[in-house]
Amino acid sequence: MSKLISIFAILSILSTPAIAAHPKGTISAGVNGLVCDFCARALEKTFGREEAVETINVDLDNKIITIHLNAGHSLDDKTITQLIMDAGYDVTEINYEK
Amino acid sequence: MRLLFLAIVSFTLMAPTVAMSRPVSYPGGWTVMTMHEGLRNSAHVHYSPTAKTSLGYRFEYWPDKELTVHAFQINKLLKRWNKTESQANFYLKSGIGVSYSDFGQFDNKSGSSVFTGLAVDWEDRRRFISYENRLTEIDGIDDFFQQSTRIGWAPYQGDYGDLHTWLMLQIEHMSEADQDYTVTPLIRLFKDVHLIELGLNNHNKFLFNYVFRY
Repeated sequence: MSKLISIFAILSILSTPAIAAHPKGTISAGVNGLVCDFCARALEKTFGREEAVETINVDLDNKIITIHLNAGHSLDDKTITQLIMDAGYDVTEINYEK
Repeated sequence: MRLLFLAIVSFTLMAPTVAMSRPVSYPGGWTVMTMHEGLRNSAHVHYSPTAKTSLGYRFEYWPDKELTVHAFQINKLLKRWNKTESQANFYLKSGIGVSYSDFGQFDNKSGSSVFTGLAVDWEDRRRFISYENRLTEIDGIDDFFQQSTRIGWAPYQGDYGDLHTWLMLQIEHMSEADQDYTVTPLIRLFKDVHLIELGLNNHNKFLFNYVFRY
């Protein structure tokens, strides 16, 4: 019995790092209408309210936003598109990176 | 005419309002604007529940008219054109409130006031152009039409978070004004949540505008 408990405990410990190591996702999206800091701030504020989002970077030169997700979270195309539209802008493309 | 004017205001109020700065912020955003211009001093505080609508309070004082206006204002983004390198906007800005005059025969007189106007702008990261107008009617005291246009140029293209600098030229026209046209060269400085504009018009009056957005 104690052997079984030991094996179970070892397996539990071994499995824990696998959960913690769940990769954080990164998503990049092309956005039309990004012409000033105000636009960038609007997107930061809008995505910043999402539980799934850890940080967001806005590249005004290339009209791209890069969204870094919290571990274990995801955002689908529909949600990303809606958030960008809610902020007042249009999406041109969405790419998921690992 | 008055019915049409009221209808437009009513439409704006039901449907859920630029040369200065964007009259609608991002969802959940607050904006405070204070403007000291040749003909008018004003303050406008608004909240944007969505990226297409803002609601707020507006205060105006017209020194030459000795006129004070307090109004509830609604700004509506009717259409935005988002392009890869540019953005254009079309707004309807309307308000309703009360006014008070100390001028001549209207001394110590108050009345209801309504105003409405359209605004359109286009900008990319180095160029800016805008036009806006407003029709104001103050019951038993005054009514006037004003319009203004701006062109702007940024001498350099800053990155996000940098100090952004714009050189602008503003031309205003107002019905019944002693000074038909007011021409104001100005400089706009924009960083983080702060925007400041400084200028001097052709009648030697200073322009000072400040916008705080959070």
